[in-house]
Formats: sequence, C-alpha cells, structure tokens
Amino acid sequence: MIEQVAFYILSAVAVLGALLAVSRRNLVHGVFALLLFFAALSGLFVMLLADYVAAVQVLVYIGAVGILLLFTIMLTEHVTGDDLRRLGVRGWFWGLLLAVAVPAVLILPAVLNEKSAKAAPIVVAQGNPALANNATQANTVKALGKVLMEKYVVPLEVLALLLTAALIGAVAVAHAPEKDASGKDTPA
Amino acid sequence: MSNLTLEHYLILSAVLLGIGLLGVFTRRNVIVVLFSIEILFNAANLNFIAFWRFGDQPEALMGPIFALFAIAVAAAEVAVGLALVIAVYRHFKTVDLEKLDTLKEE
Repeated sequence: MIEQVAFYILSAVAVLGALLAVSRRNLVHGVFALLLFFAALSGLFVMLLADYVAAVQVLVYIGAVGILLLFTIMLTEHVTGDDLRRLGVRGWFWGLLLAVAVPAVLILPAVLNEKSAKAAPIVVAQGNPALANNATQANTVKALGKVLMEKYVVPLEVLALLLTAALIGAVAVAHAPEKDASGKDTPA
Repeated sequence: MSNLTLEHYLILSAVLLGIGLLGVFTRRNVIVVLFSIEILFNAANLNFIAFWRFGDQPEALMGPIFALFAIAVAAAEVAVGLALVIAVYRHFKTVDLEKLDTLKEE
C-alpha cells in the first residue's frame, strides 16, 4: 500500500518535472524542474532496489549535469529561451503527434496484454523467491563492485577512456580562440 | 502486498519518453533540446532497472550495470554537447536552432 502511494507520488513528480522542464520559457526554471525530475527518478530507483544507481543518479545528474546546464545557460544568451508561439501550427501538430503516438505504440501491448498477464501473472512482481532474498540483502554495492571488477572490467576501462576523451574534447571545443593584437582569431 | 507490476514502470517510462520527444520536436533552443535528451536517457534507464527488478535473473545485476554505463555515457554526451553549444553560441551569437541554418540550401 505504502509502496503504491510512493510510486504514484514519485511518478507524478517525475512527469510534472519533465513537463515543466520542456515547457518553461525561462531556462533556469527549466533546469530546476529537470532537477526535480532527476530526484523523483532517483526515488523510483530506490523503490526498485537499485540503491547504487539511485546514488549515482543524485551525484551525476543533480550534482554535475544540473550545474553544467546552469553554467551553460549563464554563458549563452538570455535566460528566457525561445518563443513558443513562433513555432508554426504544423510544427506543433507533428511534434505532438509523434510525442503521443510513440508512447501509445509502446503502451498498447502492456494494456492489451492485461488478461493474459492475469492468467499468467507477472509472478516476479509479487514474490520471486530470488528477489525476496535480494530484498533483504543490505545493498547491491558490493555485488556491483565485484561484477564491475571481474566480468565487466574491459568495458569499464573503455568507459574511462571515453570519459577522458570527452573531457579533453569538451575543453578543446569550448576553448576560446585567442585574439592577437590585430583582433584576428588565431588557432588555439 | 505490493501490487506494483512491471507494467506500472513501463507505462511511466513510455510517458516520460513522450515528454522528452515533445521537447525535442517542439522546442527551438539547443539547451532545452539537451534537457529533453536527458529525459529520454532517464526514461530508458528506468526501463533497464524495471526489467532487471522484475526479470528472472536479478542476481546477474545486468540492469544496474547497463544503467550505470548509460549514465556515464550520458554524462560524457552532456559535457561535449554543452561545449558545442558554447562554441556555436560564440560563432553565431544564438542558440536558436531555427537560425542555425548555414548548411541549408538556399
């Protein structure tokens, strides 16, 4: 019961945050709505027993990505974004159509399948014995660390390389070209 | 006791995906489009975790591993994307996608 209430509250916050983030003209308000969305999603991860992912969500998204977005907004143009009215009726039509059609196609099987789902209930949802054991486990951090250092060590290293490359690439791309005395740009 | 099923999470995830798509298609500010892409990433992550939780091999930890890798790649994407936004802004003095039409044939 409590779990369901928590799920609906968190989902409502997530959907509201996402809607505000994509609809606010004021970009700073948009970022804060987005942070709300990230926080609600982190709560949902906790409900799904993915504690480490929830912590990473807070650290990476709320901590790093949010601040990065705020800094970029400060470094570019005005705080208020585009004028929504400027988009033609046709743009709105196709955008809304796609935004409704894609989730509808994804949701449809889940809704149509309701009967068979009841006949063969998604047992795992209620009482998979393996999960029941897992649920009482302290956390997934130890197991995750073990798996990352054994089975997935190569992808992990590749990921480290990717992050390094992204760091250097981001600095190189955003680096301001230096101006010489004549005011002409010289390659950095 | 809990009556939450996999479908609950899948439907929520699909709705969030729709909101993200709406942002990508209807907004004209590069930064808002980046927000929307983040929403799409998070909707996908929710699916990874939900399928892991309700799947039949939770001990394999595939869901959290995949989500963690997705989060790391998304973070790299945001860093590079925002650097590009700054570079584009420095050059064109705007972040409006409608005005960034240099490649468009006249």
